[in-house]
Amino acid sequence: MRIFIPLALLISCSALAAEVRVEFNRDIRPILAAKCYACHGPDEDKREADLRLDVRAEAVKSAIKPGNPDASELWKRITHTDSDNVMPPPSSPKQLTKAERNLFRRWIVEGAEYQNHWAFEPIKHPAVPKSDSKNPIDAFIEAKLRTHGLKPAPAADPIALIRRVYLDLTGLPPVPADLAVLSNWSDQTYEQIVDRLLASPNFGERWARHWLDMARYADSNGFLGDGLRPNAYLYRDWVIQAFNTDLPYDQFTVQQIAGDLLPDPALEELTATGFHRNAALNTEAGVDKEEARYQNIVDRVNTTGRVWMGLTVGCAQCHTHKYDPITIRDFYSFYAFFDNTEDRSDAKNKAQTLAEVSKDRRQTYVHMAGDYTRRGPDVIPASLSALPPMTKPLLPEPNRLDLARWLVSPQHPLTSRVAVNHIWSKLLGFGLVRTPDDFGTAGESPSHPELLDWLATEFMRNGWSRKHLIKLMVMSATYRQSSAHREDIVELDPLNCLLARQNRIRLDAEILRDSALAVSGLLKRTIGGPSFRPPLPEDVFDVGRSSNWKVSPGDEIYRRSLYIITLRSVLYPTLTTFDSPDAADACVRRERSNTPLQALAMMNDSVFVEAAQALALRALREAPPEVAKRLQLLFELTFNRLPRAEELQRLAVFHREQKFRVKKDGAKALQVLGNISSSIATSDQTEAATLIAVARVLMNLDEFINRE
Amino acid sequence: MSPQELITQTRRDFLATSSCGLGTLALASLLRQDGLLAAEADIPANPLGTRMSHFAPKAERCIFIFLEGGPSQMDLFDPKPLLNKYDGQPLPDSIVGDAKFAFLQKDSATVMGTSRVFKKHGQCGMEISDLLPQIATCADDIALVRSMHTTQFNHLPGQLMLNCGESRLGRPSVGSWVTYGLGNLSQELPSYVVMVSKGRGLPGGSSTWSSGFLPSSYSGVMFRNGASPVLNLSNPDGITPDMQSASIRALNDLNRLQHKHIGDPEIAARINSYELAFRMQSAAPDLVDLSGESQATLDAYGVNRIEPPIKSNLGGIGNYQTFSRQCLNARRMVERGVRFVNIIHASWDHHSNLDPQLAHNSQMVDQPIAALLKDLKQRGLLDTTLVVWGSEFGRTALGENRKGFKKVTGRDHHPAAFSLWMAGGGIKGGQVHGETDDFAWNVTRDPVSIHDFHATILNLFGLNHNKLTYRFQGLDFRLTGVNPAKVVKSLIA
Repeated sequence: MRIFIPLALLISCSALAAEVRVEFNRDIRPILAAKCYACHGPDEDKREADLRLDVRAEAVKSAIKPGNPDASELWKRITHTDSDNVMPPPSSPKQLTKAERNLFRRWIVEGAEYQNHWAFEPIKHPAVPKSDSKNPIDAFIEAKLRTHGLKPAPAADPIALIRRVYLDLTGLPPVPADLAVLSNWSDQTYEQIVDRLLASPNFGERWARHWLDMARYADSNGFLGDGLRPNAYLYRDWVIQAFNTDLPYDQFTVQQIAGDLLPDPALEELTATGFHRNAALNTEAGVDKEEARYQNIVDRVNTTGRVWMGLTVGCAQCHTHKYDPITIRDFYSFYAFFDNTEDRSDAKNKAQTLAEVSKDRRQTYVHMAGDYTRRGPDVIPASLSALPPMTKPLLPEPNRLDLARWLVSPQHPLTSRVAVNHIWSKLLGFGLVRTPDDFGTAGESPSHPELLDWLATEFMRNGWSRKHLIKLMVMSATYRQSSAHREDIVELDPLNCLLARQNRIRLDAEILRDSALAVSGLLKRTIGGPSFRPPLPEDVFDVGRSSNWKVSPGDEIYRRSLYIITLRSVLYPTLTTFDSPDAADACVRRERSNTPLQALAMMNDSVFVEAAQALALRALREAPPEVAKRLQLLFELTFNRLPRAEELQRLAVFHREQKFRVKKDGAKALQVLGNISSSIATSDQTEAATLIAVARVLMNLDEFINRE
Repeated sequence: MSPQELITQTRRDFLATSSCGLGTLALASLLRQDGLLAAEADIPANPLGTRMSHFAPKAERCIFIFLEGGPSQMDLFDPKPLLNKYDGQPLPDSIVGDAKFAFLQKDSATVMGTSRVFKKHGQCGMEISDLLPQIATCADDIALVRSMHTTQFNHLPGQLMLNCGESRLGRPSVGSWVTYGLGNLSQELPSYVVMVSKGRGLPGGSSTWSSGFLPSSYSGVMFRNGASPVLNLSNPDGITPDMQSASIRALNDLNRLQHKHIGDPEIAARINSYELAFRMQSAAPDLVDLSGESQATLDAYGVNRIEPPIKSNLGGIGNYQTFSRQCLNARRMVERGVRFVNIIHASWDHHSNLDPQLAHNSQMVDQPIAALLKDLKQRGLLDTTLVVWGSEFGRTALGENRKGFKKVTGRDHHPAAFSLWMAGGGIKGGQVHGETDDFAWNVTRDPVSIHDFHATILNLFGLNHNKLTYRFQGLDFRLTGVNPAKVVKSLIA
């Protein structure tokens, strides 16, 4: 629900109240990019009045007189009262606000200095600010808090912290035994927990899901027919393994983009190339094969750009990018890396992989205006011209393997920053760059640029180890802060960019379902293997053409949510209701919405109802036969903490009244027992039915739906 | 403090008002008064709160009837007397040009005549085929566009184009855009509802009403046939409405206690969602309970009519009563504040057996759609309710001679020219817009692209299609795409 903040009110993370001097990257470029560059930016074809504002040397020729706004045409135009002369023209939907005009004025007064776009500059190796903190992350965060006169929040309560780190690292809540460590709580105990979780196979399951979002992973083709990809799961399992074995991110990258081009590739390296086999594919009879091929390559280019570089290269498919230095020629030079790539079914391991065409290779050319039938100038494979070139001379021309190695070269300004930011966003709620899929000029600048660069450096210095990086982050005091609301920061930092507390995060769809299964004891923990089909009402799956939804047998249906089959035409509603992605495009950041349909799902979806039944059964069996004890156990199983007195009191009232209602309704009310009915003595059935209602209330509480 | 006092106290402490159907924005302002929220930027704005349109709207609601597969325009809406004259003869190259086909063998294909009879209807004299006699009686309310054209000649890309403005997956549908632009009028029903009757199956499935890159709150909510129309609407067996009500009270009270402890304003929004869900649990079944409708109304829509026999049908058998019920439900929805309704039937993809199957489908939809238009009009709702009949493309004048077909009994896909119509919601009825050549092959006057059509729908809702944007992948996306689209002004009253 935080998603719909009216833009006019949005205070960007990079510009907080205390900052005085206008800074081009932070304050001016985003406005120019959003409201001026379409006609006065890099795209020559669309440039008006021969004026470009993206290059200082050009801008100061006529439009800007540094130090003197009143003599600057730019200032005159943006404040003009005549509709023929005012800029942007009244017909443009993108008008300047008063605050923006004032920023321009101040900027010109201060000398109208430009800066290179930060994300294309080499990664710096900033010194860690002086601090008492052991963890450098905290030194950076605290230094910035100090300049705003703020102190970090106190450490989270140990139970909340344990729960947080379990959910963040494994996607599963702790079981009561995991909290035994509380009796001996210290930094060392916490570190031991972190180490254990990082070594747990559940870690790979959780973090694979983040990557699968970006890999637009699905078990079907999409489009008409939505044909099954029965072996797509081999790629998914490869990702899980890659996280569990901490495959270094550089190799992780190379194998996915060009595993087939490695010398004598191993099965796993071929399977990794499934990354680019995940795209939707139109196999409809009568489809234009060349057009489908073109669209497929465009998807690969765009996805590579977004996932590894945080760039919206797709904008340059039809025309030179409006705000980033990416030309249409750049786009098709990048496209050329994939133009002679074909899909292969690997007979040995059944995985769908990539392979390079050897004979009759295509000459790549610019597709004018993004039209696959309009041939422009020929191009050869090349990296984006605004970024460092590929180093060694590559003859006759570079291939996908060179592309992959270029991405992970230490000189690349984006790859490490983007990866670090993505991981940060999963642990702190938002990225240091709040537009994780746009590191270009229209994206937000980092809230803590030095920290971002320090982390990016540290990541590479430690052999691109994600486990190392994640441990560094979760060990920080910044991560371990309380997430409780702080009245003293809402005025200054409403979006919590400074991280004067942790963010409270609505759990991802998969974690919600998995948590319910876990606390009730229903969860089946088998890792990997073919995807399964949970129960689904017929008329929900029956709208598509691939309407054969055979529910998986036995306790398969209680497996973790990342194994639920992803059919592009029948997305599993319990997950999509909670913002799981549609596998159409790389999803770098999920929404976190809050809707009535979510309430209905949590209350009535069969998986949550069964979880409530199983949880109630546990309380009946495992707790002493007193209402208060049972309620306490239910609460503890659900939240890893005992209820506060007022909570227990309220639950007791509900229990008493509900029991009365169950008795009154008799056999009808006992239907709620469902499958557990036969496991319960007749004398206990009224109590069990009552406890199910209690369990259902607990699993719908805000505390269950969020990670503190 | 007794438990009862405790409950009362915490409820008062928190917000006695959160149950009164206030939008979260109102809730947020209350929170701010209470000092729970200090900065405007932190308002957890309700994505479905009602919002102002760009200018005064003519339409407040839309019922978009999507007849999947490409109904044959020259057998329904666009009379072409020359078809029968040229029956069995090839079309001149000058007309066919370099058109692509899904299945048709271009070199040997010949014109297929039509057995349909077209007559003039209404004061406007609109020509409509004998397959739609009842819709024809509404001619004076209908604006028939004969000059539609699209860029896609395959089903799913074409359907995504029609429903979402782009031929690829992952884009928001028209209903999602409208909901995003204007929010929800109802406090107890979803803003955007979809009803599907299945024959062959809908190629895109739920991507047809997807919110794409918009937040999922703007996605269409499928109303299923039967008494429990929304997924997960019914409580588990054994949980009565009383128990449910008590459960919601308990969980909201516990949430309020938690709010006292950690102070996250989002908790208020969560409480609101549960209250809305609870109201939906009674409102949605009430909506589909037709027992309060008069026999005359039920009969007008054909809710209990008997389907004529047919051996096989691509559009399915047994959908007559369902479709009638869906049209009646659509009226009941718009009465209750649902903003956008999709009624979808698949399929009208008549590559073969066109005559009997098109007749069967037409008879299925004719009576209920006409009844819907008349019912809306009689209740004074048609003026503000836009009704659309549309599909992803039309069909060819050439008969389909696909390899393996023994006889030519159908037509192939045709994107270059086809028909759709709109009525109500600010549409100027009783007019035909645009023209095609003698074989309904090319548009010869007033072409309307899918984006023009979308721009027009948004305009009726008071929305400027150039201004209704959403930032995704670094671009400000709009329903009508990159190239200029135009509002078809002459369609608007």
